[in-house]
Amino acid sequence: MLKRNAPVLTARFEAMRDDPTDVAHYRQLGGYEGLASVIDMGREQALDELDAAALLGRGGAAYPAGRKWRHLYNAAGETKYIVCNGDEGEPGTFKDKALVESDPLAVIEGMTIAGYEFNAQQGYIYIRGEYRHLRAIFNQALENARAAGLLGDHILGMADFNYDIRVISGAGAYVCGESSALLNSIEGKTGRPRVKPPHLADVGLYLKPTLVNNVESYASIPVIMREGGQAFRHLGTPGGGGTKLICLTGHVKNRGLYEVDLGTPLEDILYSEKFGGGSSTGRPLKFIHFGGQSGSIGAADQLHDCLYSYEDLKDRGLAIGSGAIVAMDDSVGIVDYLTSVANFFAHESCGKCTPCRIGTLRILELLEKFQQKAGIPGDLAVFENMVTHVTQLSACGLGQSVGKPMLSGYELFPEEFKQAINWQTVERKEVAW
Amino acid sequence: MTTEEKIAIIDRYHSNPEQILNILVDIQFQSEAGYIDQQTAQLVAEKLDISETRVYEIVSFYAILKETPQARYVLKICDSSPCHFSGEPVVSQWLQEKLGVGENQMTQDGLFMYHGIPCVGACAQTPFVKIKGEVFPHLTPEKLEKLLADLKAGYYPELVGGESHVEA
Repeated sequence: MLKRNAPVLTARFEAMRDDPTDVAHYRQLGGYEGLASVIDMGREQALDELDAAALLGRGGAAYPAGRKWRHLYNAAGETKYIVCNGDEGEPGTFKDKALVESDPLAVIEGMTIAGYEFNAQQGYIYIRGEYRHLRAIFNQALENARAAGLLGDHILGMADFNYDIRVISGAGAYVCGESSALLNSIEGKTGRPRVKPPHLADVGLYLKPTLVNNVESYASIPVIMREGGQAFRHLGTPGGGGTKLICLTGHVKNRGLYEVDLGTPLEDILYSEKFGGGSSTGRPLKFIHFGGQSGSIGAADQLHDCLYSYEDLKDRGLAIGSGAIVAMDDSVGIVDYLTSVANFFAHESCGKCTPCRIGTLRILELLEKFQQKAGIPGDLAVFENMVTHVTQLSACGLGQSVGKPMLSGYELFPEEFKQAINWQTVERKEVAW
Repeated sequence: MTTEEKIAIIDRYHSNPEQILNILVDIQFQSEAGYIDQQTAQLVAEKLDISETRVYEIVSFYAILKETPQARYVLKICDSSPCHFSGEPVVSQWLQEKLGVGENQMTQDGLFMYHGIPCVGACAQTPFVKIKGEVFPHLTPEKLEKLLADLKAGYYPELVGGESHVEA
């Protein structure tokens, strides 16, 4: 039974602290019941459960997992690959790290269920370079699962269930979190995104149909299969089921990782002692950056009655994204904050497409000029245009997301941008695009 | 680091091109100068049956891989927004005072160097530094002083010899 406001994905963290890779202990705590249920109910029914669960992709894009799985299920081809995206790079996010470190077998079980569902032989988990030290624990968990007959040939004694998982680690490139870039990186190439379409469920790793899901999404799969899609959905809201791992950082008292039911009031998350505990600086919170650097910014005083759910945030132009919640107090100027964000994008742009490569740098230069209060009339229009162009013309999610923090921040605090302009100087007339 | 030791690392990953990042980072972390020199790039290219250009494309693309010699201890400071506005920049100031060098400059004894990097997922532990895989959290000037002294005295062998682990 799934209870509301109780840990689901983090339920085993404490109990398995001594050895999170212990398969027997994992099974005592409900482990591998999800896989057993899938084998019992059959593959078609498993897809229905996933649809019923309303699991939205936890990496940040919130793509319905049921739709993604069904697409791959119907894709033509004998060989299919299962890939777990553990390239957690959104600043302010460390929830996949926690899952890999504290309940690796849940991730492995989720990936194994996918292996069964799609008759795949090989799965990959891509762990970001900065988390290289987690490979040891994950490899140990894989080793223990093999020894228990839960990976390798003839899993659970079934003649045609042969599946294994390999660990790949990155080496410091945010863009590799983009699914197609991640597949290139696994293939031993530089991790630049591919041109899409085709969809990765049709043409993915080594040009074969491939499933790419986030670590937290995979960890949710065994719960859904064990408890049923409806039960999972009821933990959340109609717009998205389940619990969400969130990472509270910035100027809140209790920074750290928490698990909340989707639909928890945002005020509780920020201010209750159970979670954030309010401002850590004694100054009021000014704005909240949701879902990583690629997410939108909301003003703290406009979010009083907002629920932390996919639909409530969407109504306000915000998104859950990776689950990062960065709170800033009123000492932080929006121009300074966005300069830091722009610096990140300019640094992480992979350079493959021109709008992102050059545009992110131009945005950074403009913001640095604003920081010096050296803007001239017309610069704000140039800023807006530049952000819009990078967003609309970039080839992948990295460049396409730049507009979210920039424009949301600009719209919330336009007066701070206006103060960065020396209105006495001659206006800059922009050449038509 | 001898050629045999490098080959042992490549063999541990079965010369699999999928594992090129692991191979290069393992070699780099265990090398004395902390970077991929041309001899190493040639060796990896040969063993994995890919071109040397391809190896250099990868070395120059991924931020953790380096093409030039590094200090023995590279202290990494997060400069992403959550940390940048939560006290992390003070670490650069402290390091500048204590080491007497600016960002990306090596101390004369070749022991230390520091620079900013994007988020390492330790956002709840500022101010911190990261050295190789290890995060040293909640620093104060005193703790940092002690850390530098300990490093000079060679207290953290795992930060010199690289990480050991099993591979499937």
